[in-house]
Amino acid sequence: MSREKVPPTSTDANVDSRALTRPTGPTKPPLSYEELRDVIDLSLWAGQMLLQHGAESQRVEETVHRLGTGLGCDWMDILVSPNAIIVTTTSGNEFRTKTRRVVRMGADLWRVTAVNDLSRHVNEGQLDRFQLRHELEQINATPPRYPRWLVVFVVGLACAAFSRLFGGDWPVFGVTFLAATVAMAVRQELSKRYFNHFLVTVASAFVAGVLAGSATLFNLSPQPEIALVSAILLLVPGVHLVNSAEDLIKGHLVTGITRGAMGFLITLAIALGLLLAMRLIGVEGL
Amino acid sequence: MSALLPLLSDGFWSAVAAAGFAILFNVPRRTLPGCAIAGAVGYGLRTLLVEWGMMLELATLAGAIVVGFLAEFFARRWQTPAAVFTVPGVIPLVPGSFAFHALMGLIQITDVGAFGGTPVLVEAAVNAVRTGLILAAIAAGTAAPSLLFQRHRPVV
Repeated sequence: MSREKVPPTSTDANVDSRALTRPTGPTKPPLSYEELRDVIDLSLWAGQMLLQHGAESQRVEETVHRLGTGLGCDWMDILVSPNAIIVTTTSGNEFRTKTRRVVRMGADLWRVTAVNDLSRHVNEGQLDRFQLRHELEQINATPPRYPRWLVVFVVGLACAAFSRLFGGDWPVFGVTFLAATVAMAVRQELSKRYFNHFLVTVASAFVAGVLAGSATLFNLSPQPEIALVSAILLLVPGVHLVNSAEDLIKGHLVTGITRGAMGFLITLAIALGLLLAMRLIGVEGL
Repeated sequence: MSALLPLLSDGFWSAVAAAGFAILFNVPRRTLPGCAIAGAVGYGLRTLLVEWGMMLELATLAGAIVVGFLAEFFARRWQTPAAVFTVPGVIPLVPGSFAFHALMGLIQITDVGAFGGTPVLVEAAVNAVRTGLILAAIAAGTAAPSLLFQRHRPVV
């Protein structure tokens, strides 16, 4: 990792504390004004993409640091907060700071992988800043790897698979598949129209609840409530919750707490939508 | 043999679930088999351990540790971040149904009133605690490889 570049002498107690945040080894040639501007812009952009698409804070920090130092900076200081990244680059006697807002947090692991590949190539010296800009633009413009209908279908299938894991029979499997598929389609359509994230979740959970409740209503199976539990699993904020716990463990408390709160609120929205559905069709308890 | 069949079926369905969510999270296409395997192995191990009498929370920790190391191995092989495999791989372990029952219990409080509420509240609390413990186990398990083998001397 890039932090190993700090020579061991810098941790001695008698070293001036300011020096601890800067490498004291042989410095690289100082970057020009334009170069420094590009380095901070590009590394910050890469960091924004990582944070937006579901990387945990530690990875964002490490990748931004590796990109910046790979492009010729002496040192990078990175502050990852839940909705912004702040980076300071240092080269020779010059330093510069820039902030970038991060709007939404989702999960797009293809982009995380692609940005990670770039940082490796930059560190091995295979990419300069112009090629890097071009590559980042391409990553940003690439549409999702899987067609929308396929996502709807496999997410429905995944939820139906969960109903099997919970011990449901085949009628429950069928009802869950139907409910989860329609709920996923609703979620995609509403998200495409930029509705509020919680509103989308409540609406999708409501749709899933109404459709999955039909298993109870028409007495399709001895355990119809399994369909209700499984059909809303596509909405459970697993990435938020797991990333939250991982951030907390690794000491990124602010992002961890924020992600946890987000996950909790989304779970609450699911419960709300499902409760509305159960009241509407008159299914009681679970 | 009779004990093996439910395990195989659990492994199969958890692989389907992991692969489905992997597609939702837009993983690179070449890594899909790895995601399915990670999901199947993690959930299969948990089922096996629970069947042998282990606590669900501990069994989840064991399953998540295996997913974490498997993901590290796959990540080297396919040259990706390990998160590509851990995130879909732990999806079958996420305590969605516990979280769900905890919240439903909390909301039910409004129905039962002040005097009949204690059992409902206790049950909701139990579900909430189990949700938290299982989530912590998942996170600690998947972070295990980096916590154990990628340590840094603090810079500042």
